[in-house]
Amino acid sequence: MTKRILIIEDQEDNRAIMRDLLSTAGYALIEAVDGEEGVRLARSERPDLILMDIQLPVLDGYEATRRIRAIADLKSVPIIAVTSYALSGDEAKTREAGCDSYVAKPFSPRELLAKVRALLPNG
Amino acid sequence: MTRLRARLETTVSASMSNAGQVLRWCECQFTTLVGLLGRVRDVAGRAMRAHWQKVRGIKSAQRSPSLFRKYATLLVALVGGSLVISASIEMYYSYWQNRDALSAVQREKALGAAAVIEQFVKEIENQVGWAAGFLPAGSGIDQRRYDFLRLLRQAQAITEVSYIDPEGREQIKVSRLTMDTAASGADLSQEPKFTQARANKRYFSQVYFRKESEPYLTLSMAGAARSAGVTVAEVNLKFIWDVISRIQVGKAGVAYVVDDRGFLIAHPDIGVVLRKTDLSGLSHVAFALNRLRDPGIKVPAISRDRTGREVLTAFAPIATLGWLVFVDLPLTEALQPVYAALERSAFVLAGGLLFAALVGVWLARRMVVPIRALATGAARIGGGDLDHRIDIRSRDEVQSLADSFNDMGGRLKESYATLEHKVADRTRELSEALSQLRGLIDVSQAINSTLDLQALLEAILAHACRLADAGGGAIYTFEESTEEFNLAAAYGMSHELIEAVHKAHRRLHDDSPMSQCVLKRSAIEVTDLASKSHYQMRDALMRADVRALLAVPLLREDAIVGALMVRRAHPGTFGNSMIDLMQSFASQSALAIQNARLFQEIEDKSRQLESASQHKSQFLANMSHELRTPLNAILGYNELMQDGLYGELPSKTKEVLGRMEKNGKHLLGLINDVLDLAKIEAGQLTLSLDKYSMQDIVQTVVSATESLAAAKQLPLNVEIADSMPNGRGDERRLTQVLLNLVGNAIKFTDEGAIRIAARANNGIFAVEVADTGPGIPETERGRIFEEFHQVDNSNTKKKGGTGLGLAIAKRIIELHRGRIWVESQVGRGSTFHFEVPVRAEQRGGTA
Repeated sequence: MTKRILIIEDQEDNRAIMRDLLSTAGYALIEAVDGEEGVRLARSERPDLILMDIQLPVLDGYEATRRIRAIADLKSVPIIAVTSYALSGDEAKTREAGCDSYVAKPFSPRELLAKVRALLPNG
Repeated sequence: MTRLRARLETTVSASMSNAGQVLRWCECQFTTLVGLLGRVRDVAGRAMRAHWQKVRGIKSAQRSPSLFRKYATLLVALVGGSLVISASIEMYYSYWQNRDALSAVQREKALGAAAVIEQFVKEIENQVGWAAGFLPAGSGIDQRRYDFLRLLRQAQAITEVSYIDPEGREQIKVSRLTMDTAASGADLSQEPKFTQARANKRYFSQVYFRKESEPYLTLSMAGAARSAGVTVAEVNLKFIWDVISRIQVGKAGVAYVVDDRGFLIAHPDIGVVLRKTDLSGLSHVAFALNRLRDPGIKVPAISRDRTGREVLTAFAPIATLGWLVFVDLPLTEALQPVYAALERSAFVLAGGLLFAALVGVWLARRMVVPIRALATGAARIGGGDLDHRIDIRSRDEVQSLADSFNDMGGRLKESYATLEHKVADRTRELSEALSQLRGLIDVSQAINSTLDLQALLEAILAHACRLADAGGGAIYTFEESTEEFNLAAAYGMSHELIEAVHKAHRRLHDDSPMSQCVLKRSAIEVTDLASKSHYQMRDALMRADVRALLAVPLLREDAIVGALMVRRAHPGTFGNSMIDLMQSFASQSALAIQNARLFQEIEDKSRQLESASQHKSQFLANMSHELRTPLNAILGYNELMQDGLYGELPSKTKEVLGRMEKNGKHLLGLINDVLDLAKIEAGQLTLSLDKYSMQDIVQTVVSATESLAAAKQLPLNVEIADSMPNGRGDERRLTQVLLNLVGNAIKFTDEGAIRIAARANNGIFAVEVADTGPGIPETERGRIFEEFHQVDNSNTKKKGGTGLGLAIAKRIIELHRGRIWVESQVGRGSTFHFEVPVRAEQRGGTA
């Protein structure tokens, strides 16, 4: 069964790279452009993994993560925070908010794929 | 900011030096106070000592009653002595007068007797002479007898008369006792009575005693003619006895006659005469006899008579016969009047002495009683009973002395009272000064301890009003831009008055005391507001019961800061010392306002800075995001293309993509470094402290750089000590540092090897990265940790790099409270060392 990944990212270019990378790698993708949409889609679509940008319009990544974690069925869904080169403490903050992993922008597609694969073993 | 800080420091130090001055003044005042108290104590001690000495002196005077005895004795001695002296002198003169008078009387008597006797003898001599000379030698016997009988009849004293013829034969003798004999012819030619008479015409024999009872004298006289015979008469001297006996000399005195040999011729006691008494042994008789021959001899007036009694004696000679008449008076009788006078004097003396004693006692008492009263009174006054008055009414020097004492007591009391007043005044002044000092110190402390300007000004004002005895007051601050005074603090001001002040728009150039004081830069005093009809605030102030006011300028380096006003409900001057004090308060207020303004300014600036810094951070964060987002796309697509996601690419294209990736990553590194540095500069770079393992850091760095080293064929030799403790610190930042060092080492080394070593020692991780590169010249070693600095610019260009890595590494290590340095030998290589505490603590960013 194809694993579904929810990409919450406002930048079209980044979404495109992830889309190209992950769809090629055989994942099904759901895309959201802001935090609020992300939370809504996570609730409705129940993805297997979420790639969460932090600097998002409407609802930032931390808050979106917290809300997703508040949903009963999504307590254990892997969430990888994708953020700009971290200000010191960003990683800790993402972990506090409920993210499982962390990828700093600009990310290496290879690295991102490796992390996704690590969190979705049967994909 | 720096200018601000300098100004602030100046102000604070001024405030501190101001406080120091106040404390020094304070100390000075206390020293004066202590000195004063010491002097008061000394004076009191001296006064007490003097007082006790005085009291002791008076007491000892009281104990000895000798004054009375002295006075009494002196008076008695004076009176008695003068009496004794006067009596002695009187007696002396009385003695001599008596004696001289008696002697004169006795001499007179003696002379009288001598004259009578001489007369008697002369008469007989005349009669005999007449008888002898009347008849010539050849006259008849009968004639002679007749003559002789007549002679006998006429001269009772002649007992017998005879005639001796010139041949010395007795011719006739007529006697009352015997028969007359005529022509007896007895040869008498050898008798002295014949020879002497013939030779000297006249002869007196020695006295002889007939029948051993009556004294007789033979008187013989020769006639005038050479052939005349000698007539001899026997003269009975009993007549002389009669004369002598008749002489009355006092009661027991006697007169007597001695002949020229000293034999007694006549004496009232005939028995003595009959015994043929020789008196020549008596001194006065002997002297008198000698005096007949030598008139220069003095005869003592006092001598002893034949019975040994002391007598007062006088004598007179009978010249014709060579006899002496003595008159003796027993001395006891003679001096009887002297003794009587002596007795009287003794009585007078005794009476006088008694009188003197009585008078002396009375006088002494009269003198001593007031003196004692004086002594007692003086002791009481000296003992501190200054109200005591000595009551002496002797109307003399003692009374005036007592009056002086009373006067002195009064003055002492007065001066004590004045002294007490002065002490009280001084004490009050001191306590005022003390409370003023306390006020100043309180204010000083308040200024140094609080920055709440409002509270501070109110405290200053309250102190100032309290010390100035002012019912109310205000501190105004001066707004330079509008030239207006604003009420900054009010004390004891009614709402109405505050309203009035607010309405008045106190401008600088109005004629108010406040404007005047700041314009003149000195305190202005209005002693009676009622007289200042032109003053704008007068009525409002008068309604608020203000009659006098003092305006003191608040100045800071001659700039107007504001004004301090204190107001009193009663007219009158505040006095210079109060004005000085208020000026101190004013300068404190100015200082406080200045401080507060500076602090306000600093606070504003730092808020601005904080806000700017936040903006900068935000900007940096945004920039970071904005710059990276496109890079993310570039690098991401590049990687996807290189991985052949969009189809196989010609090798040349792959190579170009590789170059693009490299440059993109370099740009990313630059962006990251600039961001890091900006954060560090802004103090925004904080450590994310967590547990870490130094081994892991080294391993991470080695894995990340292995491929780079391998590309240059440089072996990476890693020396990690066994069993290093877990550290606490920012793992990612430390990794960044080590990565930078190793990356540099690989970058600048073309051959040789890179050595990475890490160990823990005494709670410190020591890490070193050694290369065999070109080395760093000594002059450059200190500067390589500065921003944008690289050793050799041409080389840097070749090698690439931002020149920020070491600067960032240094900051990161320092944030860990560690240190980083380099050891290098040009041409041999460099070794970078850094040390961080195993357990790092969070440290605030550096500004």
